Amino acid sequence: MIELVDLTKRYVNTLAVDGLNLQVPDGEIFGFLGPNGAGKTTTIRMMMGLLQPTSGRVVLGGHDLAAEPLAAKGLCGFVPDRPHVYDKLTGSEYLDFAAQLYSLPEGVRNERRDRFLEAFDLGNWGDELIEGYSHGMKQRLVMASALIHQPRLLIVDEPTVGMDPRGARLLKKIFKDTAARGATVFMSTHSLEVAEELCDRVGIIMKGRLIALGTVAELREMADHAHDSSLEAVFLRLTGAEDDVVEEALPA
Amino acid sequence: MTAPAVGDELTQVATPPWSDRSAGDSGPGFWRWQRLLLSPRVLASRNRYRRYSRAARLRLGGFALLGVAFGGAVFAFFYRALSYFLSVPDFGPILTYKLLGMVFVTFFSILLFSNVVTALSTFFLASELERVVAAPVPVRNLFYARFIETVVESSWMMLLFSAPAFLAYGIVHDTGPGFYLMTAVTLPPFLLIPAAIGVTLTTVLVNVFPARRTKDILFLLAVFSIALLYMLFRMVRPERLVNPQGFADFTAFLNAMQTPEWTFLPSTWATEILFPMLGLRDGTPYFYFAVLVSTAAVAVMACEVVVSRTFASGWTKAQEGRQTRKAMRPVWERVLFVLTAPFQSATRVLVEKEIKTFFRDTSQWSQLILLGALIVVYVYNFSVLPISGSPLVTFYFKNVIAFVNLALAAFVTASVAVRFVYPSISLEGRAFWAIKTAPVSASQLWWAKFWCGFLPLLVLGEILILATNYYLQVVPFMYWLSSLTLLAMAFPIVSLALAVGVAYPNFEAENAAKVASGSGALVYMVQCMSFIAAVVTLEAWPVYVVFSSQFSDAPLGIFGWVGVCLSLTGVAALTVAVFVFSVRQGIARLEALEV
Repeated sequence: MIELVDLTKRYVNTLAVDGLNLQVPDGEIFGFLGPNGAGKTTTIRMMMGLLQPTSGRVVLGGHDLAAEPLAAKGLCGFVPDRPHVYDKLTGSEYLDFAAQLYSLPEGVRNERRDRFLEAFDLGNWGDELIEGYSHGMKQRLVMASALIHQPRLLIVDEPTVGMDPRGARLLKKIFKDTAARGATVFMSTHSLEVAEELCDRVGIIMKGRLIALGTVAELREMADHAHDSSLEAVFLRLTGAEDDVVEEALPA
Repeated sequence: MTAPAVGDELTQVATPPWSDRSAGDSGPGFWRWQRLLLSPRVLASRNRYRRYSRAARLRLGGFALLGVAFGGAVFAFFYRALSYFLSVPDFGPILTYKLLGMVFVTFFSILLFSNVVTALSTFFLASELERVVAAPVPVRNLFYARFIETVVESSWMMLLFSAPAFLAYGIVHDTGPGFYLMTAVTLPPFLLIPAAIGVTLTTVLVNVFPARRTKDILFLLAVFSIALLYMLFRMVRPERLVNPQGFADFTAFLNAMQTPEWTFLPSTWATEILFPMLGLRDGTPYFYFAVLVSTAAVAVMACEVVVSRTFASGWTKAQEGRQTRKAMRPVWERVLFVLTAPFQSATRVLVEKEIKTFFRDTSQWSQLILLGALIVVYVYNFSVLPISGSPLVTFYFKNVIAFVNLALAAFVTASVAVRFVYPSISLEGRAFWAIKTAPVSASQLWWAKFWCGFLPLLVLGEILILATNYYLQVVPFMYWLSSLTLLAMAFPIVSLALAVGVAYPNFEAENAAKVASGSGALVYMVQCMSFIAAVVTLEAWPVYVVFSSQFSDAPLGIFGWVGVCLSLTGVAALTVAVFVFSVRQGIARLEALEV
C-alpha cells in the first residue's frame, strides 16, 4: 500500500529526510517512531503531497503521488499533528465538506456525517461553529473527517496528543477496525505504549534515516534487550538516549 | 549545606518580597508591580526592534517619514487656517475658538471609541493575560498596569498628531511658553477621562455579552461609523468651506462650523483652558483645569472600583470558549444552493466553503459596508460635477471624464481585489491541509477561488462605470466601450490577484488586512496598474478619433476604422495574454505550493 523510494527532503541547510526506503503492505498498522526533529512529520507531509520531496518517490496503492496525485490522495485519509480546521464552519458542515472533497454521493454523505458525529461524541455540537470547539473536539472532528470516505490508507501524525483517555481508547479501536477491514494505518507517534499495543511493525527514524524496522520483538533483538523489556527501553537504546545519557544531560 | 532544589528557586521567583499586600498597594510595591507587569510589553517592543531586518528597518523609516509628512500637513492646515482667522476682524477669534472646540470634541470621540476597543484586548482577550491572571497579582495592580497600557495604546497616535496642531496655535498667536506648558498639563487628564469611561464601558459590556461577540459588535460599529462619517463628510461638500463667499451669508458659514457647546464635556473644559492662553479673550482657565483634573481622578477611581468588582466575572465570561454561535442554516443554505448551482460538484463545495467562511467572519464581510460607502461617494462625486459651458466643452469634458473614469474604476476594482482576492489563498491558513490532501486538483481550487472573486468585482466595476456614465450622459459608444472594457479587464485583474497571492502566501496571517499589506500586494498593484495603463493607452486613440468624427459629423474613413479595430484588437490580445499567463502561472504555483 505504501512505497517510499529514496525519499529525500532537504531544506536550505538541513537534510530532514535522507533517502528513506520503506514498504508497508495492506492491512498493517505501522508505527513510525523517532525523537523530535527526526523527520517523521516531514515524511508524512511528503506522503500526503503537502511538501514536495527534493528527490525520491511516494507510491500509494500503486499510484505515484507525483504522477497521479488525485488517484493517490483519493485512497488516503489524513490526520495532521495539529487539528487546524475552518473555524467558521460548523462541525456538520466540515464533515460534509470533507465528504464532498472525496465525491461521496449525497445520501451516503448525510448518513455517514450524522453517524460519525455521534460516534465521535460530537452529536450535540454538529450545528455549532468549530471556533467554539475544544482542542480534543477538533481532534475528534478531524479524525471523523479523515475516515468519512472509508480510506484504504489512514495516515496519522501524532494521534494521541491532547486526547483524553476516552478519546485515546476510541482511537485505538478505530485503528484496529480500520486494519481489520483490510486498510493500512500509518501513524507517527511519541506514545510508545500505543505503538507497542497496536503496531504490527515499527520503524524508527533518526536524523532523517530509518535506523530500525521490524516487529517490536525484532527491534528488541536488534537492541540486545530482553524479550520482556519495554519498547521505551528499546527505543532509547536504538536512538542513543538511554537513561544514563539523559541523566547526564540534566543539571544536579 | 544542601543546594536549594529547583522547585524552591521557582517559588522564590514567583512571589517577590514586595508583593506582600501588607507593604501597601500604593507604596513602593505598587510601582514595582507596575514595572514588572508592564515590562513584557516594553521588552517585546525592544526585542522586536532589535530583530528587525534591514528591510524592515527601512520600512519603519519610510513609515516614520510618512508620519512626519502627515504631521507637517496637519501643521500647515492649522497654520493657514488660524492665520486666516486672525486676519478676519470680529469673527476671527470666534472661528479660532470653534476650531479648537472641534479639535477637542473630535479627539474625545475618537479616544472614547479607541479605548473601548483597546480595553477589550488589554483587559480580557490578550493571550498573555492568562499567565498574569493566574499569578498572585493584586487586582488593583493589575488594573493600573492594564489601564496604563490601554491609555498608551489608544492615545499615542492622537497625541503625536495633535502636537503640530497645538504648535500651530502657539506660533500663530505668538503665545510664549505658558501656552505649551498648559497644553502639556491639560492633555494627560484629558486623555484619562475617555480611557476611564472606555474601560468601564468595556468591563460592563463583557459582563453582559461574551467577549468575542462584544469584539464583533464593536468592530461592526467602528466600520459602520467610519462608513457613515465618510459619506456624511463627502455629502456636506467640504470644498464649499474654502469659499465662504459661496455661502448665502456669513452666518451660514459660521453655522457650518458650529460645535455643540456642552459645558459638561471634558472637550469644552480643555478648550476653555487653552483658549484664554492665546490672548484672544479672558477666561477662567485654572477653574476649568481644576474641573478637568478632578474629573479625571474621579473617573479613574470609579473605573478602578468597577473593574475590581467585576473583573473576575468578566474575565471568566471572556474565557468561555464554548460560547458558540448556531449557524443560520435553512434560508442561508437555500440561497447558497441557488448561487452555486452552475458549478461542478468539486468546485461547488469549495465555492460554498468560501462563501460561508467569508460571511461568518465579521472582519471580512463588514468590509462590504466600507465598500458600499466607497461606491456611494464615488458615484456621488460624479453627480455633483459642475458640467456646464459650450456644447463643445461639455461634450469633450463629459467623454474625457468618462474615459478617465474607466481607468479609475479599474483601479478601484484592483484595489478591492488586493483586499479580497489577493489574500484568498493565504486565508486558507493552517486548515489548507484538508484541501491539499484531498483528491482535488489545483485547477479546481483555482477556479473556485476565481469565480468567488470575479463575480462580485465585476458587479462592483460595472456599477461604477454604468452609474457614472449615467450621470455624465455620455454617448452610446462610450457607454459600450467602457463597460465592455471593464468586463474584459476584470478577468486579468482577478487572476493576477490570485496568481500573485499564491506566489506570496502568508498562512500565519491573522486576517486578510494583514495579508493585503504585505510585499506581494505591492507587486500585484504594480503589475495590475501597468496592465490597466497599457489598456487605457491602447484605447485612447480610437476613443479620440471616434469622438472627433462624431462631433464634427464627419464619417470615419476606412483607414480610421481599421486603426480603431487594430487598437481594440490590441486591447483584446493584451487582456487575453495577461489572463492566460496569470491563470497558468497561478495553477502551477498552487500545485507546487507547500503547506
